[in-house]
Amino acid sequence: MAAILTVDGIHKSFGSHQVLRKVSFTVEPGHVVGLVGPNGAGKSTIMKIVLGLIPYDRGSVTIDGVPVSITSHRTLGRVGALIEYPGIYPFLTGRQHLQLFAQGANKKQRIQAVVHDLGMEKFINNKAKRYSLGMKQKLGIAQAFLNEPALVILDEPMNGLDPEAVKQLRDLIRAKADAGVSFLISSHILSELEKVADDVLMLNKGLIVEQTTMHAMVNQGAEVYLVRTADDQATKQALGNASIPIMESPQGILINHEDLNDVLRVLVMSNIHVEDIAHVQHDLESSFLDMINSGKGGAVDANAR
Amino acid sequence: MLTLVRQELYKLFHKTGTWVAMVIMVAIQVAFAIAARQLPDIFNATALFNDQFVGGELVIFLAIALTASIIAMEFQYGTIRQLLYRRYYRSQVFVSKVITVLIGLVLMEVLSNAVTWALKFGLFPQVDLNTKVNGGRTLLVYYAQNLGATLLTTLLLLSLVLLLATLFKSNAAAIVTGIIGYFVASLAGSFLVLLIGQYEWVKWNPFTMLMLANQVDTPSYAQLTMLSTPVMIGCSLGYTVVLGCCAYLSFRHRSV
Repeated sequence: MAAILTVDGIHKSFGSHQVLRKVSFTVEPGHVVGLVGPNGAGKSTIMKIVLGLIPYDRGSVTIDGVPVSITSHRTLGRVGALIEYPGIYPFLTGRQHLQLFAQGANKKQRIQAVVHDLGMEKFINNKAKRYSLGMKQKLGIAQAFLNEPALVILDEPMNGLDPEAVKQLRDLIRAKADAGVSFLISSHILSELEKVADDVLMLNKGLIVEQTTMHAMVNQGAEVYLVRTADDQATKQALGNASIPIMESPQGILINHEDLNDVLRVLVMSNIHVEDIAHVQHDLESSFLDMINSGKGGAVDANAR
Repeated sequence: MLTLVRQELYKLFHKTGTWVAMVIMVAIQVAFAIAARQLPDIFNATALFNDQFVGGELVIFLAIALTASIIAMEFQYGTIRQLLYRRYYRSQVFVSKVITVLIGLVLMEVLSNAVTWALKFGLFPQVDLNTKVNGGRTLLVYYAQNLGATLLTTLLLLSLVLLLATLFKSNAAAIVTGIIGYFVASLAGSFLVLLIGQYEWVKWNPFTMLMLANQVDTPSYAQLTMLSTPVMIGCSLGYTVVLGCCAYLSFRHRSV
């Protein structure tokens, strides 16, 4: 199926500072793509470029095959977005915000549906100047969903939301994605992003350093076990003497899957009491930290999925 | 474009401040009319009628506030991105705001004039519209000419405020700067006249055109501005367009 969003070889500089270098990726219909990277990696800049808010130096952006730039917005009618923080008119109520931006047929029903989906009934008729951070965030998200877009771009959508609201949002995103809506989402709450994203884009220093599916990401790292014993020092000594490689972590000692039997044998022979052995999942957070710690900065093949 | 203008008007009419300002304007007009009726030795009814019972100045202040806030508030509230990422272009968003300001200005003028005429017929039936005033014109012609000239200078002033508003991030800062700018421009008039007397080419600067209303009021002002009234009208319109274009360029290049 043709990608709804195609970003191809985008370069962007602010003055002499290059913030994006040859950024390429695609978003497939009905897919949720997580965009992760440290602060200043260029996540918001990518989103602003996709939305035609800022110009780019080289490359191309197309939505549904139609080019998007600061001077070409005709396809953006199919896009909903929340960038950085929600823009709220304090003198309007939440419902008035939605009435202001609702377009097309069945406005009233769509407003009612998005209010219900995000659990905004209790405050939707209050002036927005009295809203908490979480209420404003919900209103910003509601505006992004309001006109039934084909592509939704959300920048840190979980900011300020309580756990119940985060779950509501997650369920809504999954339901919309199952109905064919595509998402490009950035978030620092990687555990939440992991639950909702189909694909992951890792961005560092303006480069896409990894583009893969969430499933591949979780399964790609070396399979390891966390071993906890009564005496970690003696354990390290014994495994060292047996030439078994280990990694230290704050929680205990990490060993490779293929060394598990040898490790157990050595510990029993050394009379070291084993308290716990746990399989460690390679999650999005550990992949992200691996990327940051390794200082990865080389572009990857956009088709390497 | 129609959608954008409709959205701008929706915001304008849902601001409590819009309605409060209108009520205050009418209340001040009524207060001056009552004062003129009670204290005819202090307040000249004909002069007050010609000035729309102070409504003329109030409309200028309110139009400055409207123009400054219609742009600056989008940056202050962070709503500018929502306006710009849609299928519309910056030029369309900007033009929709200009159209809304013009609609707002016309509505305020209509209200101010309606109250003026209601007060004139209700409280001052003795004020004769055929009375000869400045330059042998009837009061009615004088009123109409004054209104037209004030409208032109207001448009020039608003184009300048629009340009300033694109540079500010705060609503209040843009409004205060606009109103202070209005007073400074008014006070600078006499200094400008002296300067024009010294260097005639100075007459072509845009601030000279802000004296159009004075020149229409007192035609002999032309000796001071060294410009005929039709030339001033043309220059006012020209500068309004030029400053409006500068405001658009500034808005277009504003970072979001």
